[in-house]
Amino acid sequence: MDYDALVVGGGTAGMESALSLGDMGYSVLLVEKEASIGGTMILLSKVFPTLDCASCIATPKMAATFHHPQVKTLTSAEVTGIEKKPNGTFDVHINKKATFVDPDRCTGCSSCEEACTVAIPDQFNFDLVARRAAYIPYSQAVPKKAVIERAGTSPCTFACPAGIKAHGYVSLVRSGLYEEAMDLILEDTAIPGSLGRACYAPCEDDCTRCELESAVPLRLLKRFAADYYYEKHPYPKQGPRNQLRSEKVAVIGSGPAGLSAAYDLAKQGYRVTIFEADEEPGGMLRYAIPSYRLPNEVVDRDIENVTALGVEIRTGERVRELATLESMGYDAVFIACGAARDRMMEVDGEDLGGVFSSLDFLRRVNGGNPPDLTGQNVLVVGGGNVAIDSARVARRLGATRVTIQYRRSRAEMPAFDWEIEAAEAEGIEFEYLKVPVRFEGSDGRLARVQSIDMQLGEPDESGRRRPIPIEGSEQTYDMDVSITAIGLVPHTADWADGGGVFGDGNMYADPNTLQTALPHVFAGGDVVTGPSSITHAIGQGRRAAHYIDCYLRGVGLSPQSFDGKLPAVARDEVLARQKAFRYLNGDRTAERPPQERIGDFEEVELPLTEEEARVSAARCLDCGGCSECHQCLSACQAQAIDFSMRDEQLTVTAGSVVVSTGFELFQPLRKPQYGYGRFPDVITAMQMDRLLSPTRPYNTVLRPSDGKIPDNIAYVLCAGSRDCQVGNELCSRVCCMYTVKQAQLIMGALPLADVTIYYIDVRAFGKGFEEFYQQSAAMGVYFVKGKVANVDEGPNGNLIVRYENIAGDGEVVEAEHDLVVLSVGMMPNQDALGLFTHEQLKQDSHHYVHEIDEDLSPARTSIDGVFAAGSTAAVMDIPDTILHSSAAAALAGAHVERVRT
Amino acid sequence: MSELLREPREVMRDEMAMRRHLLAALEDGPKTVPEIARVMGQPSHEVMYWLMAARRYGLVKESSQPNADDYFAYALSEKEQQT
Ligand SMILES: Cc1cc2nc3c(=O)[nH]c(=O)nc-3n(C[C@H](O)[C@H](O)[C@H](O)COP(=O)(O)OP(=O)(O)OC[C@H]3O[C@@H](n4cnc5c(N)ncnc54)[C@H](O)[C@@H]3O)c2cc1C
Ligand code: SF4
Ligand code: SF4
Repeated sequence: MDYDALVVGGGTAGMESALSLGDMGYSVLLVEKEASIGGTMILLSKVFPTLDCASCIATPKMAATFHHPQVKTLTSAEVTGIEKKPNGTFDVHINKKATFVDPDRCTGCSSCEEACTVAIPDQFNFDLVARRAAYIPYSQAVPKKAVIERAGTSPCTFACPAGIKAHGYVSLVRSGLYEEAMDLILEDTAIPGSLGRACYAPCEDDCTRCELESAVPLRLLKRFAADYYYEKHPYPKQGPRNQLRSEKVAVIGSGPAGLSAAYDLAKQGYRVTIFEADEEPGGMLRYAIPSYRLPNEVVDRDIENVTALGVEIRTGERVRELATLESMGYDAVFIACGAARDRMMEVDGEDLGGVFSSLDFLRRVNGGNPPDLTGQNVLVVGGGNVAIDSARVARRLGATRVTIQYRRSRAEMPAFDWEIEAAEAEGIEFEYLKVPVRFEGSDGRLARVQSIDMQLGEPDESGRRRPIPIEGSEQTYDMDVSITAIGLVPHTADWADGGGVFGDGNMYADPNTLQTALPHVFAGGDVVTGPSSITHAIGQGRRAAHYIDCYLRGVGLSPQSFDGKLPAVARDEVLARQKAFRYLNGDRTAERPPQERIGDFEEVELPLTEEEARVSAARCLDCGGCSECHQCLSACQAQAIDFSMRDEQLTVTAGSVVVSTGFELFQPLRKPQYGYGRFPDVITAMQMDRLLSPTRPYNTVLRPSDGKIPDNIAYVLCAGSRDCQVGNELCSRVCCMYTVKQAQLIMGALPLADVTIYYIDVRAFGKGFEEFYQQSAAMGVYFVKGKVANVDEGPNGNLIVRYENIAGDGEVVEAEHDLVVLSVGMMPNQDALGLFTHEQLKQDSHHYVHEIDEDLSPARTSIDGVFAAGSTAAVMDIPDTILHSSAAAALAGAHVERVRT
Repeated sequence: MSELLREPREVMRDEMAMRRHLLAALEDGPKTVPEIARVMGQPSHEVMYWLMAARRYGLVKESSQPNADDYFAYALSEKEQQT
């Protein structure tokens, strides 16, 4: 047996049971789901009827529990299941939640909280004020250690193939921390300027805000951060690592995959050389993507982030044999030469002048040597992004008519809708279900194109319907220029030896580690995957860098070691956190008008203004909780923040179990007539207890509507208790007395304020209670015997309380107040009922844990060896909770003695 | 006002975006919540959330006494004035 007793829940009852058992010499495991023990009592102002300060009496108990030699406390931990074994002991399964802060290092200094960029309702202040995703529960927390709330990886961050912390930079932009946003982006990619313009943004497809009005504009926000930063820093801030490693790595190709691998490797101190066949680095970024989408100056500045780290880019050097690199002393190679050759159409006349392959065409234009298409009739063949880019470029080169022929229908077209729409807006015509079968010319130049109509057959292996030519439907058109864009493939012919790594088309590398058949050679990006996207290629480059590092350090290439993200938080879970959302305008027309933009190669898309960036970043729902903005990492002097932590599953055995999971508060929204959630100045008594406590969320008791000190406060007793309408016929027993307590405290704190308590009857049954009640009446608290029917707002903004005057003739009376406090009752917390896996823990008729022999053996439950302590068994105040917990502890101890022998 | 208020979670999420407007509103001197709300053009009960969080994390502080109408004025904290 690991422990004599397990105590579930570390509130008053749990602490008392644990202390009693510990003092008796039993070993105890106390499991609390929050980050501090203490439960509700530590959050109260004072306790009735003695008016002792709750913090002053609770804090020593918390410390005594935590430091008791016989008690082991696990906070931020949940019992996930308890199984009873035949010998009477229990197997206990516990999920110890990752807190992402190393408690041994954390000094409780709050620097992380102050730096954190995510505001979340503070459960310990009952939503009166925000806390941060990184938080210390409250100043007297035990243990006083920060924790970080993470429900999972935010969907946007999870979706990013490049591993960029999208939510992180959104929350930094929202906070106005633009430089920090870019620093965060630069942790993961060297080429944010390019991504901010030309990324297809799979993050936006997964953004939870899509379920409301539209995605947070993640790509444009990245561009905003990059533009801001590049303006401020024309040259990169970072330089080469001081300590370089001895190993040399050769990267073949300077597209996104190659640049990204080089960037990550150089950051780790490797000596990296990129070999690039072209005259300038950048691959498709420079030579394929037209500058109206991605200007070359942006590509240049992005690439400087890589070269600033000491990476050498040798342009104009085409690598043809791996052996050459070996002889140059490179310890590892990353092949990222892309898919840089157009697939041929294999039809007659493809070699005529005026028939371009798309990449040759785009390369000429981007390289400053564009063909003159003024007045020409241009046909583009294909349905992907490259076809659209080619057509839009042709339009800008002066072509009078540009037509795209695609062999399937629009529905099957691989280009994105927005691209097709942009092309249409620029006057580009689309002919679907049509494809050229022959290019005809005179004097070696294209003059006509013969095309054939197609129809769609059964779906092929790509899932799209197969196009079938319709016999005899050929037509011939006069045509000056044609650009073929039917797909890209790697340049396999380049490789003299191939190194044994080329298959028949793409290169083969292990999909996880990107290692090829040659252990020191890795390959990734489009050369392996076929044509994909910038962000996917970045992801491949980073993956390769990770495994090249593992390889060079001689550690295993474990397939799991690369991407350690937490699972994505489900969109439904995010949306379920709120009952209602305010819809915000997500639309933005930010393009230059088509007539203007077709006249030049300037950027089509306009950047977000600062205001637009802030407003659109503020639409973010903070799906994962913590945004991974990493501000806490920089703020924490103790270096306690550790994002690599993960939940731990523990199993222990225990001789007995005490359940002390406490109660729940009545949800005041269930009594809409009282106006909670409609009027800011209707609050709960729990909120008032916080306002009256020394660790209060405001500077004093203030109206939440406008910060005024209230001068006429009403209490509504029995809010949600003794009320069959809400299915709770029980008296909550504590509300009368805590209300009297609060009234007395208010008289002390706000001597000029009137306090009126609307009651059905005042229940003052305990030791000293009646005197306490009489005392408050003598102090001037008004007691009105009246059942409150509803609360409304009067014309002057004050609240109108309408009540049935029970003391009079039962007439309805109206009274005006400026703050209404609902004395909400206690409800059963059913957490404990689900804890036991092999036997159901029984509940009583009011859904509390059933005490099978309440009169003679309180705390004993339906499962032998399991005892209920405190308000998990019935509504009770603190003195009763203490008594009850001692009883539970005594019974648990006796049970341990029995199962031991 | 008979409709439900915006949920605290949603209002609080706006805090980071609203912070600069809030602090800007206090630049020319201390203000009460209704005054800040007027400058920001935002409802005063929402301003309360942003202001009290700013107070909690040390960006603003309250005057020692309320004014004659029972409102405290809030000012930028020394820490904030320096930045
Ligand atoms: C507004 C208000 C004012 C009050 N004022 C007074 C007063 O002045 N004097 C007085 O005597 N009483 C007062 N009470 C009553 C008092 O708060 C309760 O009697 C007391 O807190 C009960 O203690 P407990 O340990 O049973 O529950 P709690 O204090 O609520 O503790 C339960 C603990 O269990 C944890 N937990 C829950 N589920 C799990 C799980 N599945 N796994 C692990 N941990 C779990 C919770 O996080 C919590 O820490 C007041 C109550 C209210 C609502
Ligand atoms: S990473 Fe950012 S959001 Fe997450 S806890 Fe740290 S500071 Fe807060
Ligand atoms: S709402 Fe925010 S955190 Fe959630 S997916 Fe969208 S941008 Fe990411």
